[in-house]
Amino acid sequence: MYKSTVSLHNRIAVLRAERKLSRLTLALSVGVNPQTIGFLERGDYTPSLELAFKIAEHFGLPVEAVFSPRPFRTLSEQVYELHKREA
Amino acid sequence: MAVNQERSWLWKKIGFWFVPAKSEKLGPEEWAKVLKRSHPAKQRTRRLLTLSWLPVLAFEIGVNLRMVRLDPWAGLMSAAFLTLLLGLMVRALRIGFAEVSLEDRAVMEYGAEFDALKAKQRGEVFQRAVRDRIFGRVKIDEHEAVLRLRAQGAAYRLLAPALVVFVTAYWAACLFGPFEVTRSALAVTAVVVTWLAALVLAAPTMIRMWTQPDEPEETAAVRE
Repeated sequence: MYKSTVSLHNRIAVLRAERKLSRLTLALSVGVNPQTIGFLERGDYTPSLELAFKIAEHFGLPVEAVFSPRPFRTLSEQVYELHKREA
Repeated sequence: MAVNQERSWLWKKIGFWFVPAKSEKLGPEEWAKVLKRSHPAKQRTRRLLTLSWLPVLAFEIGVNLRMVRLDPWAGLMSAAFLTLLLGLMVRALRIGFAEVSLEDRAVMEYGAEFDALKAKQRGEVFQRAVRDRIFGRVKIDEHEAVLRLRAQGAAYRLLAPALVVFVTAYWAACLFGPFEVTRSALAVTAVVVTWLAALVLAAPTMIRMWTQPDEPEETAAVRE
């Protein structure tokens, strides 16, 4: 079976922690099994477009803020850079 | 939720009486053990279980062969019984893959951590988990569907060459084995086995021939 060689990175774990959201709550909201959220966070599963959009919609963010083909920089780095630019 | 909210008829009618709750009698240590066991098995454990299943399967086949030598009808009955057991085991495993832990169930059903629940509520959570394990239905989300498809693909890739080897060995046994009296009858079964194998091997392509949609033409705007 075809398996994609590009792994999709995501910020689901960070976003969940930030909003104190359990895997179960997110899973129920987007209509998947709670285990699926765990597999997504661990990078073991690349979601369908439909699921990716549902998750992004749940967090109220654009899909590219939650999923990326390249590794995300840490939030602290980004915030620091933003502050530096503003200053 | 991993296992559907919709209960089967069997669950509604029989399941309620099937699992007794003895929650009040369990102490914190026993609950800790129950919680530990409710977590899905690790990959290593699952692989060990898969390997340990092979001798069980060999034993079942052995029993089946012995029964069929004694009496063909007894052979049929034992084959039906053993495959039913195998089917039930596969079903239980499928449900187990999608089962959520007791902690998750507690949050889902009572909106509280498992440790914060009263003994009766813990018992109810446990009771429902056990019932779902026996009578539940797995909710197939996209990840579950992908995993199943991958497993089926891998099984087919393993079975296809095994089938070719089996058919070759079957023919060799029919033609060169010590079956002087029954050779022609065995050759008939070999033909049937060959064509069944050919059907299995050709089936995916045939299904694709039937289901694949036509290739869409290039849009007029691009063509011009």
